[in-house]
Amino acid sequence: MKRTLPQSFVLYSGLVVVLLIIGLPFWWVITGSIKVPREIIARVPTMFPQSFTLQHFEKLFQSTDFPAYLVNSIGVALFSTVITVALALPAAYAFFRMRFPGRAALYRLILLAYAFPTIVVLIPIYGFFAKVGLIDTRTSLVIINVAFALPFSIWMMRSFLSTVPREIEEAAVIDGAPARVILLRIMAPLIAPGIASVAIFTFIASWTEYLFASVLIVSDARRTIPVGFAGIIGQYQIDWGLLLAGATAATIPVVILFAFVGRWFVSGLTEGAVK
Amino acid sequence: MTSPRLAFLFVTPALLFLAAVLGRPLLQAVVLSFQNVGVIGTTGSWVGFENYATILGNTAFWNAFGRSALWVFANAVVQTIMALGVALLLNQKFPGVRIARTWIILTWIVPTVVVVIIWRWLLSTSGGMINPLLIQLGVIDRPVGFFATREGAMATLVMINSWRWFPFTALMMLAGLTRIPGDLYEAARIDGAGAMKRFTRITWPLLQPTLLVLGIVGTLLSFNVFDVIWLVTAGGPSQATQTLPVLIYETAFKGYRLSEAATISVLTSILLMTFALLATRAMTASEEAR
Repeated sequence: MKRTLPQSFVLYSGLVVVLLIIGLPFWWVITGSIKVPREIIARVPTMFPQSFTLQHFEKLFQSTDFPAYLVNSIGVALFSTVITVALALPAAYAFFRMRFPGRAALYRLILLAYAFPTIVVLIPIYGFFAKVGLIDTRTSLVIINVAFALPFSIWMMRSFLSTVPREIEEAAVIDGAPARVILLRIMAPLIAPGIASVAIFTFIASWTEYLFASVLIVSDARRTIPVGFAGIIGQYQIDWGLLLAGATAATIPVVILFAFVGRWFVSGLTEGAVK
Repeated sequence: MTSPRLAFLFVTPALLFLAAVLGRPLLQAVVLSFQNVGVIGTTGSWVGFENYATILGNTAFWNAFGRSALWVFANAVVQTIMALGVALLLNQKFPGVRIARTWIILTWIVPTVVVVIIWRWLLSTSGGMINPLLIQLGVIDRPVGFFATREGAMATLVMINSWRWFPFTALMMLAGLTRIPGDLYEAARIDGAGAMKRFTRITWPLLQPTLLVLGIVGTLLSFNVFDVIWLVTAGGPSQATQTLPVLIYETAFKGYRLSEAATISVLTSILLMTFALLATRAMTASEEAR
């Protein structure tokens, strides 16, 4: 099918508008982080930086706890991701490829997790973690992140599992392979894009989690980026250069990650949605 | 093909984890709502339905409830319009469409705190880009404080949250669009139907199931939004943006009335569950009727 000239015009101008709506704020923030303070608060903002400085990044990494936040965030996100995949893969396999009594009811019960306001859990969890000595530990954040990512992860695996022909498993069963081997050696490689999707979802969710991290972590050195960074906002007389440098630095890790597995993630998201 | 025992072995770790971290606290929240615990870590005694009476007779609760309803509705409208436009664009063929479909979601993968800083800066009156831009476009004639008025703060927050979420919604809609068979459009074209007619007669009706699912999921997701609101306005000015999650947080961690906070959360849960249940039922009913 061919587009007429007006149709092409609508399509491309629409795309430009979307690009501006999404891209322009990021452009302004990233370029803002290398402008000198005087240019940042100039009454007539500049589209392209007229000055260049790394002073904001220097301040961010030398006189704030940002490096610690960064390390904490990466650690919490990585552990959350590994544990979520380890729990979600067998569970999803059982839910969508095996039969057992109560399967449908249990699956529905799991999805019910999202019908509650997340904040409901926060109050009792705080009491529970205080009792078992988990307050102010990064472990507590991993536990929380896994719990909230798990139901969605199981759901997302579904569409990927359904693309694997049953014959492959049946052949393996006939050959006498135990289920564990079928799952890890045969299914896992075939649904690698699904595993990648779940992994990146959990990583991003953990990377951005604010509410629990703001309550469960007390000492500054154990904070993750969202909470530690939010603290910087209030701590200093608003220093936009510092905040823009922080925003840039907090964005880069997820962008790098997304550059590698983003395509899989988006297909995982959209294919799951139509099933 | 395999034994149920093995299947249980596979699901049990995930189930136990969820039961311990989400299930148990949920039940404890219910218990807490019938007690009078103040500061976290202290114990209380049983008070029956006293908290429920207090909360239901409390105007702060009903005001927050109204704001939450407005918040969910406004976000749904703004995001649906933006996302539908984007989904229709991304459903076309053009060079770079794959890259566009992946990177569109950039606003959703960065931490909320980054979104907050981006918009607080762009909207600020010292150095922000939006005020000069609007002045140049002739929309306003002098800088405005976007968070200064009650209505302004709410509207601005809706825009910020929608900016974060509309690409996600757009991708979900795109998934629904790609499921509409191409031959339908071919046939309509042969019959001489214009672009507008093809949209109203094919795309829109066939997208209904997707929109319905998104309506349910989106309602739950927007309802739960806490960090954007908290980090931008902290519920202000004078409670104008204090939605239910903000109220719960403030009651528990600023007002030290834990049991009252638990009561509000239980009431909120009942509300959301009822909504989810009724909406899913309506959806299955409409699917069966089709």
